[in-house]
Amino acid sequence: MARTKLYTAIFVVLMVFSTTQAFIEQTELIDNAYWTAFAIILTLSTIKAVLVAGYFQHLRWEPPAVTYIALGGLFAALALTTAAAYSIL
Amino acid sequence: MSHEQDHGHDFPPKSSIKRWFITTNHKDVGILYTITSIFVLLLGGALALLMRAELFTPGLDFLSSASGYNQAVSAHGLLMVFWFISPFATGFANYIVPLQIGADDLAFPRLNAMSYWAYLFSIILFVISFFQGATFSGGWTMYAPLNVPTYMPNVGGTTVVLALIMFVASITMGSVNFLTTIYRMRAPGLRMRDLPMFSMSWLLTVWMMLFAFAALLAALMILGAQHLLPVNYFNVDGGSLLWTHLFWFFGHPEVYIVFFPALGVMAECFQTFTGRRIVGRKWFVLAMVLVALQSFIVWMHHMFLTGINLQIKTLFMVTTIGISLPFDLMVFSLIYTMIKGRIRYTTPFLFCLGALILFIVGGITGVFLGAVVLDYEFRGTYWVVAHFHYVMFAGGTALVGGLYYWFPKMTGRMYDEFLGKLHFAVYFVGFNLLYFPMFSAWETPRRVFVFETSAAFWHKVATVGAFMLGMSFLIMFYNMFKSMASGEEVGDNPWEYATTAEWAVSSPPPLENFPGIADYRGGKLSFLSESEAKAAESGTATDGGAATDGGTPPAETSTATGGGTATGGALATAEQALATRTVETEPEHADHASYWPVVVCFAGFLTFLGLSGVVQQGGVYYWLTGAGGVLSAVGFVGMAQESFHVPEPTIAEQWPFEGVPNMKLGMWFFLGSDIVLFGGFIGSYLFLRVANGWMFWEHELIPEAHVTFPGLVNTYLLLASSFAVVLALVAAHKNSSRGIVASLSATWLLGVGFLVNKGIEWQHLFHIHSDAFPNGWDLATNVASSTFYLTTGLHAAHVIVGLIMLLYMIPRAMRGAYTGEDEASLEYFGLYWHFVDIVWLFLFPLFYIL
Repeated sequence: MARTKLYTAIFVVLMVFSTTQAFIEQTELIDNAYWTAFAIILTLSTIKAVLVAGYFQHLRWEPPAVTYIALGGLFAALALTTAAAYSIL
Repeated sequence: MSHEQDHGHDFPPKSSIKRWFITTNHKDVGILYTITSIFVLLLGGALALLMRAELFTPGLDFLSSASGYNQAVSAHGLLMVFWFISPFATGFANYIVPLQIGADDLAFPRLNAMSYWAYLFSIILFVISFFQGATFSGGWTMYAPLNVPTYMPNVGGTTVVLALIMFVASITMGSVNFLTTIYRMRAPGLRMRDLPMFSMSWLLTVWMMLFAFAALLAALMILGAQHLLPVNYFNVDGGSLLWTHLFWFFGHPEVYIVFFPALGVMAECFQTFTGRRIVGRKWFVLAMVLVALQSFIVWMHHMFLTGINLQIKTLFMVTTIGISLPFDLMVFSLIYTMIKGRIRYTTPFLFCLGALILFIVGGITGVFLGAVVLDYEFRGTYWVVAHFHYVMFAGGTALVGGLYYWFPKMTGRMYDEFLGKLHFAVYFVGFNLLYFPMFSAWETPRRVFVFETSAAFWHKVATVGAFMLGMSFLIMFYNMFKSMASGEEVGDNPWEYATTAEWAVSSPPPLENFPGIADYRGGKLSFLSESEAKAAESGTATDGGAATDGGTPPAETSTATGGGTATGGALATAEQALATRTVETEPEHADHASYWPVVVCFAGFLTFLGLSGVVQQGGVYYWLTGAGGVLSAVGFVGMAQESFHVPEPTIAEQWPFEGVPNMKLGMWFFLGSDIVLFGGFIGSYLFLRVANGWMFWEHELIPEAHVTFPGLVNTYLLLASSFAVVLALVAAHKNSSRGIVASLSATWLLGVGFLVNKGIEWQHLFHIHSDAFPNGWDLATNVASSTFYLTTGLHAAHVIVGLIMLLYMIPRAMRGAYTGEDEASLEYFGLYWHFVDIVWLFLFPLFYIL
């Protein structure tokens, strides 16, 4: 299957990104620029999630409407989380 | 007549009790929902009458104690909002929506039966709670910290929380099922925009249900955990506010979840009984879509009296006032439809007209509550009680209209029109006698039975109205029973201007609904044989085909005439658009019977009943939990092993999900809901962390021993397990059974490794000894530990479910399953497993790094 190499490459990227996240935790960045480290680490998580959803779950090859279902749930979760947290700032 | 016998199925007739336990047919399930919800109406109504009897005089103490009154208030609210009004609409939706869209049944009939049985057993759980010391008495909004065991110590309080969880499971199963059905099983030529109004309203309802109830599920699971485990959530700093956020994030869409089906019924009845297509149909539908979206960004108007900041209050005031605008459009559309049409004042129309009037009152009085300054005055008073009932019960009023409207379709007999109108008259007078005086007595604080004597007159009037309203239903029951026995028999369509497809078949419809494949591609409804439908498929581009206003009218005639179709704003009359029944073929039949849904839900009932008392009572409750667990396993395996055939339509309108099989789409809808569930848990963690101080949390509430490494190892394990599932699918493509078995086994081992590593980590944290945490860091230590264990615990539970599925799949793979065309099941499992992986990709940084 031609895609096996692609899946393997993605798996390697996922492992590397995870290691990078843990590595950042060991650096001084997390102490000196917490929110920068926060943004980098969560961006890496988001990229990993997109890779898993796009390729392992095959969303890339599905009609876009299937992706919109997941995005709908994501929008609801983010609306709740961000607005609720902002309400007490 | 027995349509079932026509098909030679081994399926008991309706007179058999057995049929009602095993049926999976959507019409039967619709009847079950309708009847059961009416029983709940009686129970909730009786509780309301007890409350109103108490309120006849200030401080009467008719219910013997404040606890009795609080229980009656809370149970009334919970039963009516959750267990009556939406399930009442679900009954109609089950019966009518497949008929309206031209489907033979729902996409997942057994899941549909499970939805019903979970609903029924959740009611039984609720009723049992009355006999477990006391039922939940903290109000239907279940505000924290009243909802935690400290203030709700009876077993009955816990049972209600668990009953609600079971109810939400039922709702979620139903939402997934209806969404898949409506998107994937429409008759050819029936575009999304042409869905009949009731089906359109129901589609939007289930979309809202899918996401809103998932947020409630998160709240309830956390609350349930707080009743069963020593965790700290709603009893800590920010906990009360967290509950209100979670509850109202669900609660405001819930208002529209309740009202939209009613709006659909109103639109159908207004069209049918004015003989006029709804004015501005396109705008009406767009307004509903807009409300469905906006419903998720208005919830904080229920929280103006809490400590949230002024900026967010102002923002939510704007969104709240904004949501009234599309409703204005819908109301004017209905009014203008009446002006443009010629009204027939039948009972269903009267109820729908009454609902519109009541809703206008409810809507206008609600605008007051949307304004921050006015809400400071009105919040917590009878103004809210009156407004709320004018909105929610307006919805109930339209649904009663729906019951009359579809009664002939469901029973084959016409109701007594005089009794119907008498019911409406007594109902409408009683309703307004009950609720309108509450606006005068608005200063009365809600939820208490002692009030100023100056308001006594209005409360007396309200009590008289309550009994009048309650008694009006006796007229309805008499009418229904009498008419079922001796009402005039009706044909396909007793309404002159009804145009939707349910009226194109006999009353009640046959088991598999249509005499062939329902098809709209010719511009009107016709029934084709499979070969004709395929011929039409090859010769016609269906998407964007002929538009009709939610289906074209029925008729017995077997030839199509050249009559016009309802495209331009006028309803097609029966003469204008005759349904074509060209061929009587015997299509592939679906199964309609399975006893596993009732078995599985009964097992769930036993489990929840057991769990309710394990903490306080132990003993028999442990046995119940164990028995429920074992029976659940038997039930799920039995269901998986059962041969249950549901043909997927090969010719259907499926935009925008062409090429996505029903099961895959259903899985995606479920995952969409699960995203919100995890979003609720993760959002709760983030909210509580903000409330307690972001950095304080890390420095003071988490021990040094809580390090990144175990989380990183688990990330590796889970990513590797996901990759193994991908390889299983690759092996399936190559028809390699050995490859599938090896990959799935690797997945299982890696998943087990994940749990073992987690177990070791948790054991270590439980038993650490440091200056800051001399007694370890367990569930009860602080809010940080509670959020950590509960959120990652929920994730671990998902892993365990996946591992159980693998235990079923690996032996099957050894016997050669999942190769060739059978690989789909493997892919669906993969969707679930990868989702669990994705969730961990966020839990890892949030709980181990940041």
